[in-house]
Amino acid sequence: MNLNQLTVEARLRSNWESVDLGIMLARRHWALMASLWLLPAAVVYLLAVVLVPASPNWGLMAAWWLKPVYDRLPLLVVSRQLFGETIGWRQALAHFRQANARDWLAWISIRRLSFTRAFDMPVTVLEGSRGQVRSARISVLHRDSAGTASWLHIVGAHVEMGLLLGIAALSYLMLPEQLEIDWIPLLSTDVTLYTWITNGVYLLVMAAVAPFYICGGFMLYIGRRVALEAWDIEIQFRKLRERLEKQSAAGIGSKRPRARASATTALLLACSFGVLLGNPTPAAADPVTPSQAQEIIDETLAGEEFHQREEVSGWRLKEFESSEFRYPEWLIAFVEWLESREIDSEDEHSEAGDIGPLLAGIIEVLLWVLAISLVIYLLWHFRHHIRRGLGYKPKTATEKSQPETLFGLDVRRESLPEDVTAEVQRLWRTGNQREALGLLYRATLSNLISRYACDFQDHFTESECAQLVREGATQDSRLQPALVHFFTLLTATWQRQAYAHRAPQTAHLESLCNQWREVFRDEN
Amino acid sequence: MLQSSRTQSESETNRLDTLYGTETPEGIDLTAQLAGPVPRILAYSVDLFYRSLILLALAIALAFADRAGWGIWLLTSFFLEWFYPVFFEVFKGGQTPGKKAFSLAVVNDNLTPVTWSASIMRNLLRFADFLPFGYCTGILSMTCSRHFQRLGDFAAGTIVVYRERHKDGVALPDVSPAPPPRGLKLQDQQAIVSLTERSSELSSARQQELADLLQPLTGKSGSAGLQQLQGIGRWLLGARREK
Repeated sequence: MNLNQLTVEARLRSNWESVDLGIMLARRHWALMASLWLLPAAVVYLLAVVLVPASPNWGLMAAWWLKPVYDRLPLLVVSRQLFGETIGWRQALAHFRQANARDWLAWISIRRLSFTRAFDMPVTVLEGSRGQVRSARISVLHRDSAGTASWLHIVGAHVEMGLLLGIAALSYLMLPEQLEIDWIPLLSTDVTLYTWITNGVYLLVMAAVAPFYICGGFMLYIGRRVALEAWDIEIQFRKLRERLEKQSAAGIGSKRPRARASATTALLLACSFGVLLGNPTPAAADPVTPSQAQEIIDETLAGEEFHQREEVSGWRLKEFESSEFRYPEWLIAFVEWLESREIDSEDEHSEAGDIGPLLAGIIEVLLWVLAISLVIYLLWHFRHHIRRGLGYKPKTATEKSQPETLFGLDVRRESLPEDVTAEVQRLWRTGNQREALGLLYRATLSNLISRYACDFQDHFTESECAQLVREGATQDSRLQPALVHFFTLLTATWQRQAYAHRAPQTAHLESLCNQWREVFRDEN
Repeated sequence: MLQSSRTQSESETNRLDTLYGTETPEGIDLTAQLAGPVPRILAYSVDLFYRSLILLALAIALAFADRAGWGIWLLTSFFLEWFYPVFFEVFKGGQTPGKKAFSLAVVNDNLTPVTWSASIMRNLLRFADFLPFGYCTGILSMTCSRHFQRLGDFAAGTIVVYRERHKDGVALPDVSPAPPPRGLKLQDQQAIVSLTERSSELSSARQQELADLLQPLTGKSGSAGLQQLQGIGRWLLGARREK
């Protein structure tokens, strides 16, 4: 047994995982195993056909009873496959006698109904132990896995039956409808031929399931051995040892030139560097040694920061729950209404005191509430679609919030002085031309927003504001041409001041101020 | 469920295993252990048992309610049949009570928690798996497909994996920790840690035998070598000083 040849991954597995691995393994060798299983089973069954043609069920029983005999050869083959040794079909058949040499009588008599057959069989077939040795071995293996092995057996038996019923159901479904076969008599045991055929199909199903059952139990057995004998560790240790031996063989060659103080050949030096770089170099020594660090840690842990205690005491009211609960009036009325509701006339046998109608009433109301809330929810959820579908155009937001700043200018009314033009002219005279023009422009914007409800948006530019006012003048009669003209002029002047730093003539500003007073006269 | 991934070089000979691997967009390899047909059939039986129990109790409780009772019972059985697995899979981390009993869990095939649509899909397709009788199609599909998937799993893109049970701390051998030599690979370290952790399960003779394999590493033979390895194991598990 060479563990390196193992064709499955050796690792610690739970019992169920081992069974799953068995399923995978069986899938790989299914055709070989199933045919090896079926051959002796078919021989037995055909013998029964010849010998007792009148009792097909006894024939099936005989074939079924000898299952442990057929299990052994597939097990032997798959165990060879596990260690990478492939066996052909003919070759395998030659091992039939060898596989069945041990304990064959026990397996088809006292152990026939054992639930752990697939799990125990490797001990007999592969380890070849019997008697005392076998029972000791079995008890060790069973300690953790007997439950899983039994469940595997139970599931296997049920799957066999399920598949047989499935095939029966499938063939019944596939019958053309016109073909009205009276199939009830076929199922009764009168027609022997049909029973022989049905039982033969059952035998085929058994052969199909057998590889999975055998491999499931076998891998469970292997899983136990991996755990008990640490195969996984052994494989890894052998690999490591191999590597170490290879390294030390190489290491002797490369250490020598390094030991010599005067290394002459550059090639050898490169060699030894290669070895040095190959291994991880230890981290540079810390300024603090581990023991010093430990001391610092202990000191810190013993310090005040980690030993602060706080005691809190005081009086608190406990929360008392009021035990009195009064049903609300509407609920009482509702229940009374439910009870007094007319009962369906079909309900002839409803008796007094029967709460069935009440229950039904409650459920009916609940269902109605559910349905109505579902409808409301759907209406709400698709409200936009419905509105659009009805051709209703959503009004552009009525109470749109007015912007507080436009291109960085504060346009709230509160930020403006009482007398705008006087303040503008004062600023102009003191040389703050930019502020002066800015104030005038701000005041204009603010007035446009608050008095003419101009819909300036946050993202508008100056030109866009001017354009909006121009366009608005065609619809809104309050926006007179003088205002529009003034705002266009002011915008241009402000843009020149703000971006090109070109101040207007004093006369031009004066005229703007005059126009401002003119336009917003009635307000001031 | 997830465990540290094994590198590709490890499986150079393509050994058979039930691991399922996937790579996240960040380039992290995740692995999970696939669950096969046998535990899944049993988990389904447990769920079936619970469901039948609920329906039986309900039938007894509603016996007095006459036709309304029957109505409720039929409604409940409908919802239990179709939405019992969906509810548990989505809200309880992919585990119905039956799956929990066998520590199985449904996950998407990229190992993320199962989503609503996937769970509904795989459970609605139970019908296909049931055909022609008693989940025959499902059993065949699970047994023959690479990742033990039934038809519903294929359609929904889900797999069933084992969720690792929480391991209790094992008693480690009472040896002083020793720093490991340089150049140990991850798998070597895992093997040494495993040897340390299983010191109470393996026979002492077998442990000795395993430790002797690493004589080139420890430079010691017999029980001294074993203790050295166990010390390294304890060091790798984080112990640095004597207790």
